[in-house]
Amino acid sequence: MSEPIAATVKAYILDAFLPGADAAELTDDTPLISEGILDSLATVRLVTFLEEHYNIEVAAYEANADNLDSITLIANLVRAKLPV
Amino acid sequence: MDFTLTADQEALRGTIVKFSRECLNGDMIVRDREQAFSRDRWKACGTMGLQGLPVPESLGGGGFDPLTTAIALDAFGYGCTDNGLVFSVCAHLLSCVVPMWRFGSEEQQAKFLPGLCDGTLVGVHAITEPDSGSDSFAMRTKAARDGEGWRINGTKTFISNGPEADVIIVFALTDAAKGYHGGVTAFLLENGTPGFTASRKIEKMGLRTSPFGELSFDDVWVPERAIVGALGGGSAIFTHAMDWERTCLFAAHVGQMERILERGVYYARTRKQFGKSISKFQGVSHKLADFKVQLEAARLLTYRAATKLDKTRGVALDASMAKLFVSESLVRGALDVLQIFAGYGYATEYEIEREVRDAIGSRIYSGTSDMQRNTIAAWMGL
Repeated sequence: MSEPIAATVKAYILDAFLPGADAAELTDDTPLISEGILDSLATVRLVTFLEEHYNIEVAAYEANADNLDSITLIANLVRAKLPV
Repeated sequence: MDFTLTADQEALRGTIVKFSRECLNGDMIVRDREQAFSRDRWKACGTMGLQGLPVPESLGGGGFDPLTTAIALDAFGYGCTDNGLVFSVCAHLLSCVVPMWRFGSEEQQAKFLPGLCDGTLVGVHAITEPDSGSDSFAMRTKAARDGEGWRINGTKTFISNGPEADVIIVFALTDAAKGYHGGVTAFLLENGTPGFTASRKIEKMGLRTSPFGELSFDDVWVPERAIVGALGGGSAIFTHAMDWERTCLFAAHVGQMERILERGVYYARTRKQFGKSISKFQGVSHKLADFKVQLEAARLLTYRAATKLDKTRGVALDASMAKLFVSESLVRGALDVLQIFAGYGYATEYEIEREVRDAIGSRIYSGTSDMQRNTIAAWMGL
């Protein structure tokens, strides 16, 4: 994995929600919501991290499976909100 | 952090305390016994601006920042002995008015915010169901597309202000497969919408002047424009409302704590047993000293959370900590003061037992103490 946003997001998820887990088991396409990694509280924490780390705003309707269900999707969401 | 009140905040606090004592506190024992909600007192609170404190003035509110809002509600909780009225105003403001201000469309805001802010209307936040309390997103109320709108079916229970609702924000499943993550939508409707009924009042242990009951949605049709925020955006609206409620409703409880403590101190100083003031017995003075520490800590935690309300989503942790500490301290302190009052505390006419009954609910609503501990633990990575 060379894409920096995805790497940062993966590092955060491993540290915040999967302490002690094998990093290799968390891929860019692991379904985070259906595998129970992102429950309601974890979602709030993740969105808080994204907003504060990248200085972006995640709208109410964007905190959903379409945007947060994998590292790839999260990185896409962040990239779309960063200045060009 | 320095929370010394500014001159304007002092003036606001003084005005609210004076208004509360002069206009809101009469006949409490009877009104509590009869579970009487006072629409006149509600409207008086609206005239004072309490139902719209943080809403911009352009939308009919007071335009106060979150910290000043918390200070104002602290004063309200301190000056007003009708804890049920305080609770109703706060529930209306923090879980209906604030979401409409932060997420509502211009049309919704223009139509409803002025009346919600000035006391004309009573607003309600309907999420809890018979089988989904703490697990609020396990709801069964559903909204299905029907033509140019949505048809809502379900039952909500334990709804604060429900029996008096004029405006309702109701949460319904629009995509059961998505659940919390985009499957719940908030809809706005008015009392009188066909199929909607405030079906049953529920009697409770405390806060008896705050109306409480069930709401039924029987094939209620609402247009697309009734969606608050966006389709699937219900979880963010609920989370935001809870941040405000856990901070600012509990600011009102900090005021309540201060009032109860003052009564305890006065009684301890003036009551004599065994030839001296009972305040000279450490069994009494230590209880009040502990309550004083908890009061000041509760105020600091609450005010700190308030300063973060419009700054970061991470306020959720501060709000949970404030809510947990304030509610547990309020109940413990009220019980200790009742113990100090002894027989007089147990008797209705001294109005201490009502403070205890009113306090108990604070450990339950806005997320139980157990749920707050879960939240705090989760933020710690546990």
